[in-house]
Amino acid sequence: MNLRLHIWRQSGPTDTGMMKTYDLADVSEHMSFLEMLDVLNEQLSERGEEPVAFEHDCREGICGSCGMVINGRPHGPLPRTTACQLHMRTFKDGDEIYIEPWRARAFPVVRDLVVDRSSFDRIIQSGGFVSVNTGNAQDGNTLPISKKDADYAMDAAACIGCGACVAACPNSSAMLFTSAKIGHLGALPQGQAERYDRAENMVLTMDAEGFGACTNHYECEAACPKGISADFIARMNRDFVMAGLLNR
Amino acid sequence: MRSFGEVWRSTIFQKWVMAITGILLVLFLVGHLSGNLLIFLGPDAMNGYAVGLRELFHGAALWIVRLGLIVIFVLHVRAGIVLSQRNRKAKGVRNQKFEARSSTVASRSMIYTGLLLLFYVVYHLAHFTWGAAHSEFYHYTDALGRHDVYRMVIESFRQPTIVATYVLAMAVTGLHLNHAIASAFQTLGVSHPRYTPLIKTAGPAVSILLVLGFLSVPLAIAFGVVGG
Ligand code: HEM
Ligand code: FES
Repeated sequence: MNLRLHIWRQSGPTDTGMMKTYDLADVSEHMSFLEMLDVLNEQLSERGEEPVAFEHDCREGICGSCGMVINGRPHGPLPRTTACQLHMRTFKDGDEIYIEPWRARAFPVVRDLVVDRSSFDRIIQSGGFVSVNTGNAQDGNTLPISKKDADYAMDAAACIGCGACVAACPNSSAMLFTSAKIGHLGALPQGQAERYDRAENMVLTMDAEGFGACTNHYECEAACPKGISADFIARMNRDFVMAGLLNR
Repeated sequence: MRSFGEVWRSTIFQKWVMAITGILLVLFLVGHLSGNLLIFLGPDAMNGYAVGLRELFHGAALWIVRLGLIVIFVLHVRAGIVLSQRNRKAKGVRNQKFEARSSTVASRSMIYTGLLLLFYVVYHLAHFTWGAAHSEFYHYTDALGRHDVYRMVIESFRQPTIVATYVLAMAVTGLHLNHAIASAFQTLGVSHPRYTPLIKTAGPAVSILLVLGFLSVPLAIAFGVVGG
Protein backbone atom coordinates (compact mmCIF):
# COMPACT_ATOMS: atom_id res chain seq x y z
CA MET A 1 0.00 0.00 0.00
CA ASN A 2 1.03 3.60 -0.52
CA LEU A 3 0.85 6.04 2.35
CA ARG A 4 1.23 9.73 2.99
CA LEU A 5 2.86 10.33 6.38
CA HIS A 6 2.78 13.62 8.29
CA ILE A 7 5.50 13.40 10.93
CA TRP A 8 6.59 15.83 13.63
CA ARG A 9 10.23 16.76 13.00
CA GLN A 10 12.19 18.59 15.66
CA SER A 11 16.00 18.56 15.67
CA GLY A 12 16.42 19.11 19.41
CA PRO A 13 14.78 20.33 22.63
CA THR A 14 15.10 24.00 21.69
CA ASP A 15 14.01 23.68 18.05
CA THR A 16 10.39 24.78 17.44
CA GLY A 17 9.69 21.81 15.18
CA MET A 18 7.06 21.27 12.50
CA MET A 19 5.07 18.65 10.63
CA LYS A 20 6.74 17.28 7.49
CA THR A 21 5.09 15.17 4.82
CA TYR A 22 6.60 11.98 3.39
CA ASP A 23 5.20 9.64 0.75
CA LEU A 24 5.99 6.00 1.37
CA ALA A 25 5.33 3.41 -1.35
CA ASP A 26 4.84 -0.38 -1.25
CA VAL A 27 4.23 -0.78 2.46
CA SER A 28 3.41 -4.38 3.34
CA GLU A 29 0.32 -4.93 5.46
CA HIS A 30 2.30 -7.48 7.50
CA MET A 31 4.72 -4.87 8.80
CA SER A 32 4.35 -3.47 12.26
CA PHE A 33 3.97 0.29 12.52
CA LEU A 34 7.57 0.62 13.73
CA GLU A 35 8.84 -1.53 10.85
CA MET A 36 7.06 0.83 8.49
CA LEU A 37 9.00 3.69 10.14
CA ASP A 38 12.23 1.64 9.82
CA VAL A 39 11.63 1.41 6.07
CA LEU A 40 11.01 5.15 5.88
CA ASN A 41 14.21 5.79 7.84
CA GLU A 42 16.27 3.61 5.49
CA GLN A 43 14.99 5.62 2.56
CA LEU A 44 15.67 8.89 4.36
CA SER A 45 19.24 7.78 5.15
CA GLU A 46 19.83 6.77 1.56
CA ARG A 47 18.66 10.21 0.46
CA GLY A 48 21.06 11.78 2.97
CA GLU A 49 18.26 13.09 5.21
CA GLU A 50 18.01 12.71 8.99
CA PRO A 51 16.03 9.59 9.95
CA VAL A 52 12.98 10.06 12.19
CA ALA A 53 13.95 9.51 15.82
CA PHE A 54 11.54 7.32 17.76
CA GLU A 55 11.89 5.21 20.88
CA HIS A 56 11.53 1.45 20.86
CA ASP A 57 12.96 -1.54 22.65
CA CYS A 58 11.04 -4.79 23.10
CA ARG A 59 8.70 -4.44 20.13
CA GLU A 60 6.40 -6.88 21.84
CA GLY A 61 4.21 -4.54 23.85
CA ILE A 62 5.81 -4.92 27.27
CA CYS A 63 8.50 -2.28 27.75
CA GLY A 64 6.53 0.91 27.19
CA SER A 65 9.16 2.65 25.05
CA CYS A 66 7.33 3.08 21.78
CA GLY A 67 5.09 6.03 22.51
CA MET A 68 3.76 8.13 19.65
CA VAL A 69 0.44 9.73 18.81
CA ILE A 70 -0.95 8.19 15.63
CA ASN A 71 -3.87 10.02 14.01
CA GLY A 72 -4.70 11.83 17.23
CA ARG A 73 -4.62 8.73 19.42
CA PRO A 74 -1.74 7.53 21.59
CA HIS A 75 -0.43 4.24 20.14
CA GLY A 76 -2.92 4.54 17.28
CA PRO A 77 -6.49 3.44 16.64
CA LEU A 78 -6.61 -0.05 18.20
CA PRO A 79 -7.63 -0.49 21.84
CA ARG A 80 -5.12 -2.13 24.19
CA THR A 81 -2.37 -2.11 21.58
CA THR A 82 1.04 -0.46 21.75
CA ALA A 83 2.46 1.23 18.65
CA CYS A 84 4.91 -1.67 18.18
CA GLN A 85 2.04 -4.16 18.17
CA LEU A 86 0.01 -2.14 15.69
CA HIS A 87 0.21 -3.60 12.19
CA MET A 88 -0.17 -1.91 8.85
CA ARG A 89 -3.18 -4.08 8.01
CA THR A 90 -5.08 -1.64 10.25
CA PHE A 91 -4.51 0.99 7.54
CA LYS A 92 -5.42 0.98 3.88
CA ASP A 93 -3.89 2.13 0.63
CA GLY A 94 -3.92 5.90 0.22
CA ASP A 95 -4.27 6.65 3.95
CA GLU A 96 -2.79 9.79 5.44
CA ILE A 97 -1.24 9.16 8.83
CA TYR A 98 -0.34 11.85 11.37
CA ILE A 99 2.51 10.83 13.67
CA GLU A 100 3.30 13.13 16.61
CA PRO A 101 5.10 12.93 19.96
CA TRP A 102 3.43 12.76 23.40
CA ARG A 103 2.47 16.29 24.42
CA ALA A 104 2.98 17.43 28.01
CA ARG A 105 5.07 20.09 29.65
CA ALA A 106 6.44 17.35 31.90
CA PHE A 107 7.49 15.31 28.82
CA PRO A 108 9.73 17.71 26.87
CA VAL A 109 10.51 16.62 23.31
CA VAL A 110 14.10 15.42 22.96
CA ARG A 111 13.97 14.92 19.23
CA ASP A 112 11.23 14.18 16.66
CA LEU A 113 8.98 11.60 18.37
CA VAL A 114 11.19 11.01 21.39
CA VAL A 115 10.18 12.65 24.66
CA ASP A 116 11.93 12.74 28.03
CA ARG A 117 9.80 10.74 30.46
CA SER A 118 12.16 10.97 33.43
CA SER A 119 9.41 12.84 35.30
CA PHE A 120 7.78 9.39 35.65
CA ASP A 121 11.00 8.08 37.21
CA ARG A 122 10.95 10.89 39.75
CA ILE A 123 7.34 10.07 40.66
CA ILE A 124 8.39 6.44 41.24
CA GLN A 125 11.44 7.49 43.26
CA SER A 126 9.25 9.52 45.60
CA GLY A 127 7.20 6.52 46.75
CA GLY A 128 7.02 3.60 44.32
CA PHE A 129 8.79 1.16 46.62
CA VAL A 130 8.24 -0.98 49.70
CA SER A 131 10.68 -1.30 52.59
CA VAL A 132 11.69 -4.85 53.52
CA ASN A 133 13.99 -6.07 56.25
CA THR A 134 17.24 -7.58 55.11
CA GLY A 135 18.35 -10.99 56.31
CA ASN A 136 16.99 -14.40 55.52
CA ALA A 137 14.20 -14.71 53.02
CA GLN A 138 10.82 -14.96 54.66
CA ASP A 139 9.09 -18.32 54.87
CA GLY A 140 6.81 -18.93 51.93
CA ASN A 141 3.14 -18.44 52.75
CA THR A 142 3.74 -16.32 55.86
CA LEU A 143 2.05 -13.42 54.08
CA PRO A 144 -1.23 -14.76 52.76
CA ILE A 145 -2.69 -12.60 50.00
CA SER A 146 -6.21 -13.28 48.81
CA LYS A 147 -6.80 -14.02 45.16
CA LYS A 148 -8.98 -10.91 44.98
CA ASP A 149 -6.19 -8.63 46.26
CA ALA A 150 -3.57 -10.35 44.13
CA ASP A 151 -5.68 -9.89 41.00
CA TYR A 152 -6.39 -6.27 41.86
CA ALA A 153 -2.71 -5.48 42.43
CA MET A 154 -1.81 -7.34 39.25
CA ASP A 155 -4.27 -5.25 37.22
CA ALA A 156 -2.46 -2.12 38.43
CA ALA A 157 0.97 -3.68 37.97
CA ALA A 158 0.20 -4.19 34.27
CA CYS A 159 1.20 -0.54 33.75
CA ILE A 160 4.25 -0.35 31.49
CA GLY A 161 4.83 3.36 32.12
CA CYS A 162 4.54 4.27 28.45
CA GLY A 163 2.86 7.63 29.12
CA ALA A 164 -0.09 7.14 26.74
CA CYS A 165 -2.42 8.22 29.57
CA VAL A 166 -0.65 11.58 29.80
CA ALA A 167 -0.66 11.99 26.03
CA ALA A 168 -4.37 11.17 25.77
CA CYS A 169 -5.39 13.50 28.59
CA PRO A 170 -6.43 17.00 27.48
CA ASN A 171 -4.82 18.19 30.75
CA SER A 172 -1.70 16.03 30.45
CA SER A 173 -2.52 14.57 33.82
CA ALA A 174 -0.45 11.65 35.06
CA MET A 175 -3.15 10.40 37.42
CA LEU A 176 -3.69 7.02 35.76
CA PHE A 177 0.04 6.19 35.88
CA THR A 178 0.50 7.48 39.43
CA SER A 179 -2.68 5.84 40.71
CA ALA A 180 -1.73 2.50 39.16
CA LYS A 181 1.58 2.58 41.03
CA ILE A 182 -0.04 3.70 44.29
CA GLY A 183 -2.84 1.15 43.88
CA HIS A 184 -0.50 -1.72 43.04
CA LEU A 185 1.64 -1.37 46.16
CA GLY A 186 -1.15 -0.09 48.40
CA ALA A 187 -3.30 -3.18 47.75
CA LEU A 188 -0.68 -5.61 49.07
CA PRO A 189 0.32 -6.27 52.69
CA GLN A 190 3.95 -5.43 51.94
CA GLY A 191 2.88 -1.96 50.85
CA GLN A 192 0.86 -1.05 53.93
CA ALA A 193 3.66 0.51 56.01
CA GLU A 194 4.17 3.36 53.57
CA ARG A 195 0.66 3.41 52.13
CA TYR A 196 -0.32 6.98 53.05
CA ASP A 197 3.14 8.54 52.78
CA ARG A 198 3.39 6.96 49.35
CA ALA A 199 0.08 8.44 48.19
CA GLU A 200 1.02 11.87 49.51
CA ASN A 201 4.57 11.94 48.16
CA MET A 202 3.81 10.52 44.73
CA VAL A 203 0.87 12.87 44.15
CA LEU A 204 2.82 15.94 45.25
CA THR A 205 5.77 14.93 43.06
CA MET A 206 3.38 14.46 40.14
CA ASP A 207 2.06 17.99 40.71
CA ALA A 208 5.55 19.44 41.07
CA GLU A 209 6.59 17.88 37.75
CA GLY A 210 3.92 19.97 36.04
CA PHE A 211 1.31 17.34 35.16
CA GLY A 212 -2.28 18.58 35.13
CA ALA A 213 -5.30 17.68 37.27
CA CYS A 214 -7.86 15.02 36.45
CA THR A 215 -11.18 16.25 35.05
CA ASN A 216 -12.57 12.75 34.69
CA HIS A 217 -12.65 12.64 30.90
CA TYR A 218 -11.43 9.02 31.08
CA GLU A 219 -9.36 9.47 27.91
CA CYS A 220 -6.45 7.84 29.79
CA GLU A 221 -8.35 4.65 30.45
CA ALA A 222 -9.46 4.47 26.81
CA ALA A 223 -5.90 4.98 25.55
CA CYS A 224 -4.08 2.68 27.99
CA PRO A 225 -2.54 -0.23 26.07
CA LYS A 226 -2.88 -2.34 29.21
CA GLY A 227 -6.50 -1.41 29.90
CA ILE A 228 -5.84 0.03 33.36
CA SER A 229 -9.05 1.26 34.94
CA ALA A 230 -9.67 4.81 36.13
CA ASP A 231 -11.07 3.22 39.30
CA PHE A 232 -7.45 3.35 40.49
CA ILE A 233 -7.70 7.15 40.27
CA ALA A 234 -10.74 7.11 42.55
CA ARG A 235 -8.77 4.95 44.99
CA MET A 236 -5.84 7.37 44.84
CA ASN A 237 -8.19 10.30 45.47
CA ARG A 238 -9.30 8.50 48.64
CA ASP A 239 -5.80 7.55 49.77
CA PHE A 240 -4.44 11.04 49.21
CA VAL A 241 -7.08 12.72 51.33
CA MET A 242 -6.81 9.97 53.97
CA ALA A 243 -3.08 10.71 54.03
CA GLY A 244 -3.82 14.37 54.57
CA LEU A 245 -5.98 13.47 57.56
CA LEU A 246 -3.81 10.69 59.03
CA ASN A 247 -0.42 12.28 58.49
CA ARG A 248 -1.03 15.27 60.74
CA MET B 1 4.45 14.24 56.27
CA ARG B 2 3.87 17.33 54.18
CA SER B 3 2.63 20.74 55.26
CA PHE B 4 -1.08 21.50 55.02
CA GLY B 5 -0.29 24.25 52.51
CA GLU B 6 1.24 21.74 50.12
CA VAL B 7 -1.72 19.40 50.45
CA TRP B 8 -4.21 22.28 50.03
CA ARG B 9 -2.55 23.45 46.79
CA SER B 10 -2.40 19.94 45.32
CA THR B 11 -4.48 19.02 42.29
CA ILE B 12 -6.38 16.31 44.15
CA PHE B 13 -7.26 18.47 47.16
CA GLN B 14 -8.51 21.28 44.93
CA LYS B 15 -10.61 18.74 43.05
CA TRP B 16 -12.12 17.65 46.36
CA VAL B 17 -12.95 21.27 47.12
CA MET B 18 -14.61 21.55 43.73
CA ALA B 19 -16.52 18.29 44.12
CA ILE B 20 -17.79 18.98 47.65
CA THR B 21 -18.80 22.57 46.88
CA GLY B 22 -20.29 21.41 43.56
CA ILE B 23 -22.44 18.77 45.27
CA LEU B 24 -23.59 21.36 47.83
CA LEU B 25 -24.54 23.69 44.97
CA VAL B 26 -26.52 20.91 43.33
CA LEU B 27 -28.34 20.29 46.63
CA PHE B 28 -29.06 24.01 46.80
CA LEU B 29 -30.51 23.80 43.27
CA VAL B 30 -32.85 21.01 44.38
CA GLY B 31 -34.12 23.22 47.21
CA HIS B 32 -34.34 26.24 44.92
CA LEU B 33 -36.35 24.25 42.39
CA SER B 34 -38.86 23.06 44.97
CA GLY B 35 -39.44 26.70 45.93
CA ASN B 36 -39.85 27.74 42.29
CA LEU B 37 -42.48 25.09 41.61
CA LEU B 38 -44.77 26.80 44.15
CA ILE B 39 -45.65 29.13 41.29
CA PHE B 40 -48.00 26.40 40.08
CA LEU B 41 -49.90 26.64 43.39
CA GLY B 42 -50.74 30.30 42.85
CA PRO B 43 -49.83 33.75 44.22
CA ASP B 44 -50.56 33.04 47.84
CA ALA B 45 -48.27 30.00 48.07
CA MET B 46 -45.42 31.81 46.29
CA ASN B 47 -45.58 35.13 48.17
CA GLY B 48 -46.18 33.43 51.51
CA TYR B 49 -43.13 31.22 50.94
CA ALA B 50 -40.99 34.25 50.06
CA VAL B 51 -42.00 36.04 53.24
CA GLY B 52 -41.49 32.84 55.21
CA LEU B 53 -37.90 32.54 53.94
CA ARG B 54 -37.13 36.12 54.90
CA GLU B 55 -38.61 35.80 58.37
CA LEU B 56 -37.28 32.36 59.35
CA PHE B 57 -35.39 32.78 62.65
CA HIS B 58 -35.99 36.55 62.44
CA GLY B 59 -34.17 36.73 59.13
CA ALA B 60 -31.07 34.96 60.43
CA ALA B 61 -31.65 31.75 58.47
CA LEU B 62 -31.65 33.51 55.12
CA TRP B 63 -28.37 35.25 55.82
CA ILE B 64 -26.64 32.17 57.15
CA VAL B 65 -27.60 30.28 54.00
CA ARG B 66 -26.56 33.21 51.82
CA LEU B 67 -23.15 33.51 53.50
CA GLY B 68 -22.65 29.76 53.17
CA LEU B 69 -23.55 29.89 49.50
CA ILE B 70 -21.16 32.77 48.85
CA VAL B 71 -18.27 30.88 50.48
CA ILE B 72 -19.13 27.69 48.60
CA PHE B 73 -19.45 29.53 45.32
CA VAL B 74 -16.18 31.40 45.71
CA LEU B 75 -14.30 28.20 46.63
CA HIS B 76 -15.81 26.36 43.66
CA VAL B 77 -15.10 29.05 41.11
CA ARG B 78 -11.59 29.73 42.43
CA ALA B 79 -10.62 26.04 42.31
CA GLY B 80 -12.13 25.72 38.83
CA ILE B 81 -10.15 28.64 37.47
CA VAL B 82 -6.88 27.68 39.18
CA LEU B 83 -7.05 24.07 38.01
CA SER B 84 -8.04 24.79 34.45
CA GLN B 85 -5.16 27.25 34.11
CA ARG B 86 -2.82 24.62 35.53
CA ASN B 87 -4.20 22.04 33.10
CA ARG B 88 -3.74 24.31 30.11
CA LYS B 89 -0.16 24.94 31.10
CA ALA B 90 0.47 21.22 31.68
CA LYS B 91 -0.47 20.38 28.10
CA GLY B 92 1.60 23.13 26.51
CA VAL B 93 1.88 22.52 22.76
CA ARG B 94 -1.09 20.52 21.50
CA ASN B 95 -1.02 17.73 18.95
CA GLN B 96 -2.36 18.79 15.57
CA LYS B 97 -4.74 15.84 15.68
CA PHE B 98 -6.81 14.87 18.69
CA GLU B 99 -9.42 12.12 18.43
CA ALA B 100 -11.61 12.00 21.52
CA ARG B 101 -12.60 8.56 22.75
CA SER B 102 -14.46 9.12 26.01
CA SER B 103 -14.47 12.84 26.77
CA THR B 104 -17.58 14.80 25.81
CA VAL B 105 -18.44 18.34 24.80
CA ALA B 106 -19.73 18.80 28.34
CA SER B 107 -16.56 17.49 30.00
CA ARG B 108 -14.25 19.52 27.79
CA SER B 109 -16.15 22.78 28.27
CA MET B 110 -16.54 22.79 32.08
CA ILE B 111 -14.60 26.00 32.59
CA TYR B 112 -16.57 27.80 29.84
CA THR B 113 -20.00 26.64 31.02
CA GLY B 114 -18.84 27.46 34.56
CA LEU B 115 -17.84 31.01 33.70
CA LEU B 116 -21.08 31.54 31.77
CA LEU B 117 -22.91 30.37 34.89
CA LEU B 118 -21.03 32.96 36.89
CA PHE B 119 -22.37 35.73 34.62
CA TYR B 120 -25.82 34.21 34.69
CA VAL B 121 -25.92 34.05 38.49
CA VAL B 122 -25.06 37.76 38.73
CA TYR B 123 -27.77 38.62 36.18
CA HIS B 124 -30.28 36.36 37.89
CA LEU B 125 -29.65 37.96 41.29
CA ALA B 126 -29.89 41.43 39.72
CA HIS B 127 -33.23 40.40 38.23
CA PHE B 128 -35.10 38.71 41.08
CA THR B 129 -33.17 39.56 44.26
CA TRP B 130 -31.84 43.09 43.86
CA GLY B 131 -34.41 44.37 41.37
CA ALA B 132 -31.63 46.05 39.44
CA ALA B 133 -32.38 44.39 36.10
CA HIS B 134 -35.94 44.60 34.73
CA SER B 135 -36.83 46.72 37.78
CA GLU B 136 -40.21 47.58 36.24
CA PHE B 137 -41.47 44.17 37.42
CA TYR B 138 -39.94 44.34 40.89
CA HIS B 139 -42.09 46.77 42.84
CA TYR B 140 -45.50 45.11 43.00
CA THR B 141 -47.18 44.36 46.33
CA ASP B 142 -50.07 41.94 46.79
CA ALA B 143 -53.36 42.49 48.66
CA LEU B 144 -51.69 41.58 51.98
CA GLY B 145 -48.93 44.15 51.42
CA ARG B 146 -46.31 41.47 50.69
CA HIS B 147 -43.68 41.74 47.94
CA ASP B 148 -45.58 40.27 44.97
CA VAL B 149 -43.01 37.71 43.85
CA TYR B 150 -45.67 35.84 41.89
CA ARG B 151 -46.56 38.83 39.72
CA MET B 152 -42.89 39.77 39.27
CA VAL B 153 -42.16 36.30 37.88
CA ILE B 154 -45.26 36.21 35.69
CA GLU B 155 -44.69 39.67 34.18
CA SER B 156 -40.99 38.92 33.61
CA PHE B 157 -41.60 35.70 31.75
CA ARG B 158 -44.14 37.32 29.48
CA GLN B 159 -41.13 38.99 27.86
CA PRO B 160 -39.77 36.71 25.11
CA THR B 161 -36.20 38.03 25.48
CA ILE B 162 -36.14 37.24 29.20
CA VAL B 163 -37.51 33.74 28.54
CA ALA B 164 -34.89 33.19 25.85
CA THR B 165 -32.12 34.28 28.23
CA TYR B 166 -33.26 31.85 30.90
CA VAL B 167 -33.64 28.99 28.43
CA LEU B 168 -30.07 29.56 27.27
CA ALA B 169 -28.83 29.76 30.85
CA MET B 170 -30.51 26.46 31.67
CA ALA B 171 -28.93 24.83 28.62
CA VAL B 172 -25.54 25.91 29.96
CA THR B 173 -26.42 24.64 33.44
CA GLY B 174 -27.47 21.32 31.94
CA LEU B 175 -24.19 21.00 30.09
CA HIS B 176 -22.15 21.81 33.21
CA LEU B 177 -24.06 19.36 35.39
CA ASN B 178 -24.16 16.69 32.70
CA HIS B 179 -20.50 16.03 33.43
CA ALA B 180 -20.28 17.47 36.93
CA ILE B 181 -22.51 15.22 39.01
CA ALA B 182 -20.99 11.85 38.10
CA SER B 183 -17.54 13.42 38.01
CA ALA B 184 -17.82 14.62 41.60
CA PHE B 185 -18.34 11.04 42.80
CA GLN B 186 -15.18 9.84 41.05
CA THR B 187 -13.24 12.78 42.50
CA LEU B 188 -14.42 11.88 46.00
CA GLY B 189 -13.17 8.34 45.45
CA VAL B 190 -16.52 6.62 45.13
CA SER B 191 -15.91 3.68 42.85
CA HIS B 192 -17.65 0.36 42.95
CA PRO B 193 -18.14 -2.24 40.21
CA ARG B 194 -21.90 -2.20 40.70
CA TYR B 195 -22.67 1.42 41.60
CA THR B 196 -20.23 3.35 39.39
CA PRO B 197 -22.07 2.52 36.13
CA LEU B 198 -25.29 3.54 37.89
CA ILE B 199 -23.79 6.88 38.93
CA LYS B 200 -22.57 7.50 35.40
CA THR B 201 -26.16 7.13 34.13
CA ALA B 202 -27.85 8.88 37.05
CA GLY B 203 -25.63 12.01 36.90
CA PRO B 204 -26.73 13.13 33.44
CA ALA B 205 -30.32 12.03 34.17
CA VAL B 206 -30.48 14.19 37.30
CA SER B 207 -29.02 17.12 35.37
CA ILE B 208 -31.76 16.82 32.74
CA LEU B 209 -34.50 16.56 35.39
CA LEU B 210 -33.21 19.64 37.20
CA VAL B 211 -33.04 21.69 34.01
CA LEU B 212 -36.51 20.59 32.87
CA GLY B 213 -37.87 21.46 36.31
CA PHE B 214 -36.41 24.97 36.19
CA LEU B 215 -37.54 25.47 32.59
CA SER B 216 -41.10 24.48 33.40
CA VAL B 217 -41.70 27.85 35.10
CA PRO B 218 -40.72 30.31 32.32
CA LEU B 219 -42.16 28.05 29.63
CA ALA B 220 -45.48 27.57 31.43
CA ILE B 221 -45.77 31.34 31.78
CA ALA B 222 -44.64 32.11 28.23
CA PHE B 223 -47.26 29.73 26.84
CA GLY B 224 -49.97 31.08 29.12
CA VAL B 225 -50.43 27.89 31.17
CA VAL B 226 -49.77 29.81 34.38
CA GLY B 227 -50.79 33.40 35.11
CA GLY B 228 -53.27 33.53 32.22
C1 HEM C 1 -20.39 29.99 38.44
C2 HEM C 1 -19.32 29.57 38.08
C3 HEM C 1 -18.90 28.15 38.02
C4 HEM C 1 -17.69 27.83 37.55
C5 HEM C 1 -16.63 28.78 37.06
C6 HEM C 1 -17.57 26.38 37.59
C7 HEM C 1 -16.49 25.68 37.16
C8 HEM C 1 -16.31 24.35 37.28
C9 HEM C 1 -15.19 23.66 36.77
C10 HEM C 1 -14.03 24.24 36.00
C11 HEM C 1 -15.34 22.37 37.11
C12 HEM C 1 -14.28 21.35 36.85
C13 HEM C 1 -14.69 20.19 36.18
C14 HEM C 1 -13.71 19.13 36.35
O1 HEM C 1 -12.61 19.36 36.91
O2 HEM C 1 -14.05 18.06 35.95
C15 HEM C 1 -16.56 22.24 37.82
C16 HEM C 1 -17.03 21.09 38.34
C17 HEM C 1 -18.21 20.99 38.97
N1 HEM C 1 -19.16 21.98 39.08
FE1 HEM C 1 -18.95 23.90 38.60
N2 HEM C 1 -18.72 25.84 38.10
C18 HEM C 1 -19.56 26.89 38.37
C19 HEM C 1 -20.82 26.79 38.86
C20 HEM C 1 -21.35 25.63 39.27
C21 HEM C 1 -22.68 25.53 39.79
C22 HEM C 1 -23.69 26.65 39.90
C23 HEM C 1 -22.81 24.21 40.13
C24 HEM C 1 -23.98 23.54 40.75
C25 HEM C 1 -25.13 23.57 40.42
C26 HEM C 1 -21.60 23.50 39.83
C27 HEM C 1 -21.38 22.16 40.06
C28 HEM C 1 -20.22 21.47 39.77
C29 HEM C 1 -19.92 20.10 40.11
C30 HEM C 1 -20.84 19.14 40.86
C31 HEM C 1 -18.65 19.80 39.61
C32 HEM C 1 -17.92 18.46 39.66
C33 HEM C 1 -16.74 18.43 40.54
C34 HEM C 1 -15.82 17.30 40.14
O3 HEM C 1 -15.69 16.97 38.98
O4 HEM C 1 -15.20 16.74 41.00
N3 HEM C 1 -20.74 24.39 39.30
N4 HEM C 1 -17.16 23.48 37.90
S1 FES D 1 8.64 -1.19 21.95
FE1 FES D 1 8.30 -2.06 23.93
S2 FES D 1 6.18 -1.67 24.18
FE2 FES D 1 6.49 -1.05 22.14
